[in-house]
Amino acid sequence: MSAPESKPLAHPVRVKIVLAVLAAALTVAGGVPLFKHRHFGTPFVAGPGVTKVIKLSDYSPGLKGRFVDADVFVMEGAEPGGKALIMANTHANEPAGYLAVKILIENAVVQKGTLYIIPTINVSASRNTKAGDGYPLYYDIPTDWGRVRFRMGTRDASPLESWPDPDVYIHYPDKQLLSYLDLRNTNRTWPGRPNGPMMERVTYAAMELMRKEKIDLAFDFHGAETMFPVTNCIVAPQKSAKFATLASMMVKAMEGFDSHVEPSPQNFRGLSHREIGDFSNTLPFLLEAPIPFLDQPTGPKTVKLLLDGKDPFLLSLAKKKKLFVSYDANGWPMDKRVGQHMSTTLEIIRQFSKKTPDRAIRLSGAPKYADLVRDGVGKYFHDPAKAEPGRIHYE
Amino acid sequence: MKKALVILFAAASVVTLAAGQTAVPKAKLPVLTTSAGQSNDVNALNIVLEEADIKYDYCDVPTPEMVAAGVGLGNKQSAEGFHVESTTDLAKFPKGTPFKACLVAIGASLKGMGASGLTIDTEEARVKKLVDYCKKNKIFLVAVHVGGEAGRGPAGSDNERMIDAVAPLADFIVVTKDSNKDGRFSKIAEKGKIGFQQVDYALGLVDIVKKMFN
Ligand SMILES: [Zn+2]
Repeated sequence: MSAPESKPLAHPVRVKIVLAVLAAALTVAGGVPLFKHRHFGTPFVAGPGVTKVIKLSDYSPGLKGRFVDADVFVMEGAEPGGKALIMANTHANEPAGYLAVKILIENAVVQKGTLYIIPTINVSASRNTKAGDGYPLYYDIPTDWGRVRFRMGTRDASPLESWPDPDVYIHYPDKQLLSYLDLRNTNRTWPGRPNGPMMERVTYAAMELMRKEKIDLAFDFHGAETMFPVTNCIVAPQKSAKFATLASMMVKAMEGFDSHVEPSPQNFRGLSHREIGDFSNTLPFLLEAPIPFLDQPTGPKTVKLLLDGKDPFLLSLAKKKKLFVSYDANGWPMDKRVGQHMSTTLEIIRQFSKKTPDRAIRLSGAPKYADLVRDGVGKYFHDPAKAEPGRIHYE
Repeated sequence: MKKALVILFAAASVVTLAAGQTAVPKAKLPVLTTSAGQSNDVNALNIVLEEADIKYDYCDVPTPEMVAAGVGLGNKQSAEGFHVESTTDLAKFPKGTPFKACLVAIGASLKGMGASGLTIDTEEARVKKLVDYCKKNKIFLVAVHVGGEAGRGPAGSDNERMIDAVAPLADFIVVTKDSNKDGRFSKIAEKGKIGFQQVDYALGLVDIVKKMFN
């Protein structure tokens, strides 16, 4: 039998057009939600304690006009004293710290000393998502007056701000070889360079803020997996260890929650708790609250899991003693995580103030662990509809 | 706040009646504080002594030679991954006075051991030598565990090896309630007929060390 005569493809141009249109449609359908997410902002109401809102680029011109430039809320007391910097959203998929600083900004009033608060130190990561992990783009927190919507970000800045990725990230100035991804991770790019890769510019600007403003204490808020040993803790270098330990002992005895102290390793570079201490006079503290959402062996990555931290797989692992925190059917709710960040920070500030009265920081209006667990975090959010327009900042 | 603290100390000093608890033994100064496992708990221990107004010498990784050098730890200076602090009252205990007691904060931390260039194996070997020296030289050895559940970690963890290296050979064991949820320490104390106290919080140790050294 002879082979059938091969026919030319039917309308090859038409097929190409159809495929091109399909690809464009998929790109638009997938891209529009990501574009909206990248440009979405949650209203932060500058409370009575906020005296000004400045930019991180005010401390380093390398950030001027860049998408990654961050807002800095300044809360000055009438009486001069010590100064503390609080940073959240270093890893924008660990949102407890971000909610804690929103509460501080909207409620706290400083009597003595100054607080500097950067709600999102990695702006790009907070406007990025983790492709392939099924992350929700947003989560809502209920309040008495409606729901407040927040962007769920991810760990690393978007390639839109930092491209291309290197094969390995060579840390500056130690030349330690880190993962290529760490070039976009603002907890590996400390202490940074004024005109280095974009995330180094961000951390450099924060270093400059700490050096120029003579910041006494720096807090970097995180969340960590329950299966990771460095969780539910304060990571502190030797110079901060005493205040961290005192605070850890006090919150355990007075407020009834655990947060142990982990030493900051000397030989692992780029981390805030290491480099801030080594490159300035500031005492750094990195706070980790457990976040079951980030553990690997969980069910779907839903908003519910993000907020209540309840997961059946973690529960069975807890029974086999595979977790580094106590874990039961109550999960590890957001209110508790936010409360831990808040109370641990307030306690470290209090201990520091007791030991160095001339550099004391005194503030009021911030809810503590028990308040947040009892009332829920939404209770402490201010209704932007009732705020003066000039006091609303979209973060 | 002051009042709250006083109440707290009072509350913390009401010792929980756990099985097998014994009276707080008397120990003598000068005292050395150190770590088995390089966790931060030795900082907690030092803070406890400061709160109790008891002066101490501290080294995170002392060698038997340093302990043998007595108060002042042979004038060794702190360096990277090696910390020495001598607050002992030199008027009462001049440099070189042999230590009469050694408080060991048990708790393994990979980060802490890494910072001192140690692995769990080298740390275990180091701790065993130290314990051995204390036993041979009749230095009153106190095993302290205040790390709670986090400081115990999953079963079979590095912490368990540190506990085994120190607690069964101690002259006195004092732990927080959280650290002894599974009764691990009360069992060791019972088996070895070792003095044992359990406190609700790490701050409760202030009262214990006061009783011990007064
Ligand atoms: Zn993190």
